[in-house]
Amino acid sequence: MGIPVKSRGADWLRPTLWDGVVIAAVVAAAVLLLLALRPAGGGDLRAVVTLDGAVIAQYDLSSPSQPARTWVDCPYPLLIEAEQGRIRICESECPGGDCVHTGWVSRAGGQIVCLPNRLVISLSAAAGTQDGVDAVTG
Amino acid sequence: MKRQVFSVCLALAMGAALCGCTGGEARKTVQFFAMDTTMSVTVYGEQAQAGTAAVQQAVNGLEAALSATRAESEIYALNAAAGMGAVPLSQDAQAVLTLAGAVSAATDGAFDCTISPIMVAWGFPTESRHVPTEGTLAALLPLVDWREVAISGDMAFLPAGMAVDLGAIAKGYAGEKCAQTLVDMGINSALLDLGGNITGVGGHSDGSPWRVAVKDPNAPAEEVLCVISLLNQTASTSGGYQRYFTEDGVTYHHIIDPATGYPAEHGLLSVTVISSNGGQADALSTACFVMGEEKALALWRDPAGLPAEFELILCCEDGRVVVTEGLESSLAFKGEANGYTCEIARR
Amino acid sequence: MPSQGERDGKKEKRWSAMKNRSVRRLTTCAVLTALALALSVAEGLVPVTILFPLPGLRLGLSNLVTIYALYRLSFREALLILLARCFLGALLGGNLSGLAFSITGGLLALLLMEALRRLRGLSLFGVSIGGAAAHNTGQILAAMAVLGSPAALAYLPPLLLCSIATGAFTGFVTMLLLRRIPGE
Repeated sequence: MGIPVKSRGADWLRPTLWDGVVIAAVVAAAVLLLLALRPAGGGDLRAVVTLDGAVIAQYDLSSPSQPARTWVDCPYPLLIEAEQGRIRICESECPGGDCVHTGWVSRAGGQIVCLPNRLVISLSAAAGTQDGVDAVTG
Repeated sequence: MKRQVFSVCLALAMGAALCGCTGGEARKTVQFFAMDTTMSVTVYGEQAQAGTAAVQQAVNGLEAALSATRAESEIYALNAAAGMGAVPLSQDAQAVLTLAGAVSAATDGAFDCTISPIMVAWGFPTESRHVPTEGTLAALLPLVDWREVAISGDMAFLPAGMAVDLGAIAKGYAGEKCAQTLVDMGINSALLDLGGNITGVGGHSDGSPWRVAVKDPNAPAEEVLCVISLLNQTASTSGGYQRYFTEDGVTYHHIIDPATGYPAEHGLLSVTVISSNGGQADALSTACFVMGEEKALALWRDPAGLPAEFELILCCEDGRVVVTEGLESSLAFKGEANGYTCEIARR
Repeated sequence: MPSQGERDGKKEKRWSAMKNRSVRRLTTCAVLTALALALSVAEGLVPVTILFPLPGLRLGLSNLVTIYALYRLSFREALLILLARCFLGALLGGNLSGLAFSITGGLLALLLMEALRRLRGLSLFGVSIGGAAAHNTGQILAAMAVLGSPAALAYLPPLLLCSIATGAFTGFVTMLLLRRIPGE
């Protein structure tokens, strides 16, 4: 009956001023974390260009930059245009032109494929796949 | 004694915790080119490494047997011997040709693997796309007739001038075959993306099904129409937007109507078929695109002659996305923002 | 001078009193473990994943048992109860991957609460809020390890704010328990 003597330390059963300090510390931690995560989260889009499986170029699409246009030296030369948040193949000498038809891609998980060249542009973001979708058919 | 028991329990608990952390999360993804497209295979579990290797090997093996362009393939030999003699076929080739025939019969020729001469005339296989003359097409149309493919036992024969192209069925068949290979190895969680044909082996490690999105034909790289669940099934999509060219201001896509020799224009932008039979899903997606909404739904209601049941997602030109009943419970429709409306087709 | 018989008698009494106490403590531990398991199941019914889509995330109500055990019993017993309920909970729920979440969250909470408990000036509430914050942090760390990416960190700020509420709640209930249930 009554409060046990066994426990060490303060086992007061009434809130104290120091509890407020704990609460403030937790809130501060939450706010600091939020601020620290802001720049990294969301705009972390990257594009990786592979030619026949080997990575030949990478683009950081999250930072504001002038549109960059690069000719790729592959079996059928093509022109990649990258700007903040999106990328596309704007010209290509490949026979089909499906890669150019694809147009701008700006979503994480998106892809542009040029089959005759065996060139693939894959977009990814630190946040992982969008909306929990495992694969896309079509 | 108590202390020792305590320590042992602690150690066991830690061990169990570690197992919980790492078990079942092993996975491996490989990406490679095969069957004239990009392929991405992800296998989960301890055998992930062996599984991906097995899939890659199986796909390469199937391509070697079924490709119409590789000189060492049986189909190449079959086409080369057209009108001259019968050619022996491997089990896979037999299975695919038989399945193709079944789909052709059920769809009244909307799917026809003998469409090859016409495809070549349009330049799609050789990547020299152009509009063939009417005369050329008229001369080649009689050569398109699935009923003329004679299969007897393990031999096959084609009349002179005819040729077979399994491009519209091979990837789906490969997906199912690889899935079977993985299951035989004891793997129960894998996702295969063979050129847009998605085959799911089981589901996620926790049993939940794979979530697969269907591309929006009007914005295929960016937007999706809907998301459905896949559990031990294959999802296959055919759409005009996948391969096309423009000549003199007119757009021509690659899904040729075997009856006319011209790209099929029956009101559909894309068709997605979900079925446990991968080859059927692949072939049907092409067939239903050619058939149009009414005939496709009629076939869904009465799939007589087809080896497996299937479900459909039809994206129509007028913005309606028709989804068959069986998909309703797992459907997450995402197309309203882009002006699409969803309709459920009931039996 | 007590006689041999009286000394033996006293020894007997002390020995049986001691046995009684350890049996009592063992049963208390067992009851608390069962309570923690029940709380686990109960909080599993609350769909936290609607707000935070991390499978395995929990409210942390079982912390209640940990705090009670810390104040009423000893650190060792609290640790034992924690490990027992995590292990059993994973076995019974058939969900071994949830084990990572509950163990890291529970251990971090236990360690921090033991440390906070020794600080003079902090009441039960401060300890339990700190424990709840540590619990959520542990869960996020587990999520990051399991997912293999720091993506889960994004959920920690709102979770930390939630932990103030859940910590206060568990602290309040523990206070009631400590007041109402007689100690040894």
